[in-house]
Amino acid sequence: MLMLDQIVATQEPPRSNESIDWRVITRCQQGDRDALRALFESYKDRVYSIARYSLGGDEQLASDVTQQVFIKLMTRIGQFRGDSEFGTWLYRLVVNTCRDEQRKQRRWVPLADSVFMTATVKQTQTGQYASKELARHVQRALGELKPKLRWPILLRYVEGLSYEEIGKVLGCSKGTVASRLNRGHTALSRKLGHLRDQLGPE
Amino acid sequence: MKLGMFNHVSNFSSAYWHNELAPPQSRRVAEHLNACSRCRAEFETVKLGSRFAEQLELVSAPEFLWPRIAAGLNVNAVPSVRFKFLKPLAIAATLVLLVGGGLFLLLPRRVDPQTGWPVIRLGGTPRIGSQSVSDKSRLGIGQWLETDSGSRAKLDVANIGNVEIDPNTRVRLLQSSDSEQRLELARGRLSARISAPPKLFFVNTPSGVAEDLGCAYTLEVDDAGNSHLRVTLGWVALQLRERESVVPAGAACVTRPGIGPGTPYFEDASETFRSALSQFDFPADQLSQSSALEIVTREARPRDAMTLFYLLTRVNGSERALVYDRMATLVPPPESVTREGMLNLNPQMMERWQGKLGLTWGRKVDKAAKTWKRIWSAALGELKGLQGKR
Repeated sequence: MLMLDQIVATQEPPRSNESIDWRVITRCQQGDRDALRALFESYKDRVYSIARYSLGGDEQLASDVTQQVFIKLMTRIGQFRGDSEFGTWLYRLVVNTCRDEQRKQRRWVPLADSVFMTATVKQTQTGQYASKELARHVQRALGELKPKLRWPILLRYVEGLSYEEIGKVLGCSKGTVASRLNRGHTALSRKLGHLRDQLGPE
Repeated sequence: MKLGMFNHVSNFSSAYWHNELAPPQSRRVAEHLNACSRCRAEFETVKLGSRFAEQLELVSAPEFLWPRIAAGLNVNAVPSVRFKFLKPLAIAATLVLLVGGGLFLLLPRRVDPQTGWPVIRLGGTPRIGSQSVSDKSRLGIGQWLETDSGSRAKLDVANIGNVEIDPNTRVRLLQSSDSEQRLELARGRLSARISAPPKLFFVNTPSGVAEDLGCAYTLEVDDAGNSHLRVTLGWVALQLRERESVVPAGAACVTRPGIGPGTPYFEDASETFRSALSQFDFPADQLSQSSALEIVTREARPRDAMTLFYLLTRVNGSERALVYDRMATLVPPPESVTREGMLNLNPQMMERWQGKLGLTWGRKVDKAAKTWKRIWSAALGELKGLQGKR
């Protein structure tokens, strides 16, 4: 029988937010570089990951955006009053900075290297390599989604946010987040269904 | 999120799977899924998509980020939040800047050769000639910009992009006009991000010229004059006399003084492959070159067909046959491409296979460049017309 047991099966977000000490934020608001360094160390990987995934895997661009985010954080943290979670405020900054960068990138000459992607998969030899290849395919498929479907997936799976938190970051309702995640999951499933054997057991 | 008594529940699949529904809703979805094969199938589709999304792993941020952020904070001093009375003044100033900026943007841009490109200090004490870089420094044509081990700088390239200059680097501005922006990199490393028509931005090095085809890249020159190009976006052409290598994103290429560019390769190729390719491009003797070619063909993956495609044109006789046969195994050629034709470097067949490999430089890039330039010329013409009406 299907799923009655799933009612109680909790699907935890993959990563939970660390609670940030208010004293660190207050020190940041006073211009304390050591406090910013502490925030940087807590959030750098998550900010960098989301930038990299949202910008098509471009490492240099993701580094630039991460750099911009933390510089903006230091210059704007005086505006943070604690009306929302610090993480929500920071991720809004990340999303907006990435969106700005994406707008700039639209002027660039587009490229296609799908032949190489396809060819590389045929070479898959080891489990680890296959796993990396699968992650690259997921990243590629994610890049093909409309931004409004891509962002909820990134915030859910990279940042581990709840639907309500995602809604606050993106400025939409929890129902809209649920609907977009539904469409995003369906699209990923259709694009990548032929690779389901590489997923391993549930 | 509202759930009707008798409705299908597929719209709630993700929320149900992520346990984001209230308990009564969750129970109703579960009961419906047990009874409705259509919703159950859609739920399975969503679950599969979710399992793919779970493959997105956290990526470690590079180590060099914090020093850059610290340097950036030195440039962008943190504003105090106490001066709230300045807010109306700031709004007025912003309006003035917006109007002024709008007028400025409507003017056709041209860098005055006398004033050159703006330079931003990113850290330490970069110097233009004997002068330290200040907030208003510009790099004029013919002037050298030099960084020591503790300094970095950024050049604003005539509104088409920027170039970051790393420590221990020496660059000179050679040309700045509507049709050409050209730097010389004598030593050290720069990172360029250019958003402009291809073939507008160039960097001269002691062992070749890097020609921008709409891209982002890092270029490094060592004390011997060897250069190392890594492309992160778009394409870059490396040239020395008749020898040219067009390098795509994700790939790199090495040049040597007097020889020019080697063969481009993807950076994720095996160490054995890259090492053998280097021996082939810059051999100690003929024998080592031949054995290096064998290793390159043996180690090549399908993705390395790009490298092999270059090698086809750089070897002859039995070596070309060796390269062709390996390529044909890795990425079979289109039906209309024959072995004999490729061994004779038939131009039409070369182009067809090149197209299949996704190596769209050459004719297509030229076409793209012409389209870009036409758009730019039209836009500039319109702007000049607008300026004339004012």
